[in-house]
Amino acid sequence: MSLKKINGLEITPTHSINQVRYGCTLGAMYSAAAIPGAIPIAHCGPGCADKQFMALAFYNGFQGGGYGGGAVPPSVNAGEKEVVFGGNERLEELIKATLKIMRGDLYVVLTGCIGELVGDDVGSVVSPFQQRGVPICYAETGGFKGNNFTGHELVTRAIIDQFVKDYDGKKEETLVNVWSELPFQNTFWRGDLAEIKRILEGIGFKVNILFGFGSKGADEWKTIPKAKFNLVISPWLGLETAKHLSEKYSQPFLHYPVIPIGAKETSKFLRTVADFAGLKKETVEEFIRQEEKEYYYYLEHFSDFYAEYWWGLPARYGIVGDSAYVLAVSKFVVNQLGLIPASHIITDNPPEQYREGIEKEFRSLSHDVSEEVIFVEDGYWVKKILENTDFGHKPPIIFGTTWERDTVKKFGGQVVEIGFPASYEVVINRSYVGYRGAFALLEKIFTAAISASA
Amino acid sequence: MSKKIKQIAIYGKGGIGKSTTTSNISAALSTLGYKVMQFGCDPKSDSTNTLRNGQYIPTVLDTIRDKANVNAHDVVFKGFNGIYCVEAGGPAPGVGCAGRGITTAVQLFKQQHVFEELDLDFVIFDVLGDVVCGGFAVPIREGIAEHVFTVSSSDFMAVYAANNLFAGIKKYSNNGGALLGGVIANSINKPYAKDIIDDFVKQTKTQVVEYVPRSVTVTQSELQGKTTIEAAPDSAQAKIYLNLAKKIAAHESSKTPEPLSVGQLRDWAAQWADHLLALETGTIESSHSNI
Repeated sequence: MSLKKINGLEITPTHSINQVRYGCTLGAMYSAAAIPGAIPIAHCGPGCADKQFMALAFYNGFQGGGYGGGAVPPSVNAGEKEVVFGGNERLEELIKATLKIMRGDLYVVLTGCIGELVGDDVGSVVSPFQQRGVPICYAETGGFKGNNFTGHELVTRAIIDQFVKDYDGKKEETLVNVWSELPFQNTFWRGDLAEIKRILEGIGFKVNILFGFGSKGADEWKTIPKAKFNLVISPWLGLETAKHLSEKYSQPFLHYPVIPIGAKETSKFLRTVADFAGLKKETVEEFIRQEEKEYYYYLEHFSDFYAEYWWGLPARYGIVGDSAYVLAVSKFVVNQLGLIPASHIITDNPPEQYREGIEKEFRSLSHDVSEEVIFVEDGYWVKKILENTDFGHKPPIIFGTTWERDTVKKFGGQVVEIGFPASYEVVINRSYVGYRGAFALLEKIFTAAISASA
Repeated sequence: MSKKIKQIAIYGKGGIGKSTTTSNISAALSTLGYKVMQFGCDPKSDSTNTLRNGQYIPTVLDTIRDKANVNAHDVVFKGFNGIYCVEAGGPAPGVGCAGRGITTAVQLFKQQHVFEELDLDFVIFDVLGDVVCGGFAVPIREGIAEHVFTVSSSDFMAVYAANNLFAGIKKYSNNGGALLGGVIANSINKPYAKDIIDDFVKQTKTQVVEYVPRSVTVTQSELQGKTTIEAAPDSAQAKIYLNLAKKIAAHESSKTPEPLSVGQLRDWAAQWADHLLALETGTIESSHSNI
């Protein structure tokens, strides 16, 4: 069966994945770890948790595990005994020990493949703790259920249903819950979420950013039901959560597929959100005016370089990564830099029902740019597609991952690592989105381009 | 060079008389002078009870649960006439993975070469009901049992379980797995019961090894915690078990069965149902040759 044809290639299923571009469902332990004060507890075999750490939080920007991730999470380390007799007792023992020695505001038990295949009733182990008032919940995240994107929504839902629980009180008029990038999978999530929070607060919102430094952790999650609405800023991730919340707490949601990068997109984004929430126009416009003033001050200086250095800059780009960044970065470089698109490859395996919507976004990248996007996960196809792409006579810029380095070396382009795994990037709180993040991205792109001849 | 150990697995639907039959085969083989081990592969761990006066023995898995390194000899217990009794054991009902438990227990014995060390003539695996998952197929996979016998009555569900087992055997037959010795037809008292089983083995290209009638002697013996061979050695029933054991001892060549598809099995059962109904209402003629 042919999936699609692109650049003269017929993309057929390979039934294998070379060069992984996401974690397994259990990787969502990093969604838990991304909540300040939360501690994931892994109900899985030895090695599972460490693999997720190394993949998502280490060789991906060297982000580090922090308070609840990395080498910290307690694990059942299920062996033969737990397979044959079930792992419930061991898990109970582990939770008790964890509560004794690790202080957390929220504990999230995540089950791996072993417990799920054996049929461990994790709920029956966790619920007595919940009844005693321990802030703990569990998510069934056996690796066979999908990737860490799938796991993220399972964990989010588990926390909402088991920890945040029911609410039918008042809503706060300006409070908004933000569901956007996948923590740790997106190498730049910490800086990005901080910027998103900053700009939304700038126009008058109170923001539940929920993950990262800007989140108030478990206390903030408790206020999710009070928000006036949910804001999903991504092509598809977070939609399941938003739909669930609309049923659970009667909260409407706004789906904004493009994570905004640069003044043009960001101002448009802020106006749309403000309009949806009915914010005061004056405050919104004043903030946008201030931000754009600063933005264009810097951009004006940058324009000398951009105008004069034309002979040494890339004209075309290819992009490989998670749908969120592939769309966001493409919008920015096409509309604000005038780069010519050559190849768009999405590798986060979005659920079928969202793919048409994503394709539609690419068909209107700009008022005069319509592009096709291809969904593949196997590194074999990513390589083939890039090799078969016509990038013109100048070396292109390739937005991708560490996996693209060898491929790109062959045709002499430059790689800007924008996603998992970004093993040649050290990322602390760099952001590539919003008003401020756009500059970091510009700096990265053109430093890469001009240093090629260094 | 060590002698060849005959390894046999006995399968069948739960409650069909598998353990009763297996224990009596073991007992009969031992009275014939063979060195026998009976290996119960059922989390209920009661396969060998009638070989040990109704007493339960510690199971392989219970021992593994408590200790990391287990000497397999520690979980071998002698029963009637020197028969070695082993129970694989398993998790509590509804917990863990019993199939993996069977695999673990059997592998422990294989790794420690216990069968060879005990200089056995026969190892008989008494395996729980249906082949529900890979774990319960371990005794019929490569390198363990060579011959499989299935205990079945003429009840449709027992035949269904037997047919499933045949499918399992066929699946592994190309990879050195065990082959089918035949069906031990249990609780065969009514003439039509024999006809049903005979027809089933014909359809699936196998054979009946022995017809074992339902007998109160078996019940009486079991209530004393004994096999019929031990409790009533001179009974007619004991002779039947002895005869069955001799056939199994002499059995050399097993075959790949031809299981029926679900649809075929249903049609086959429906025809028999019609026939039995006709028999009851008296509209039956002399034969059921159309089946």
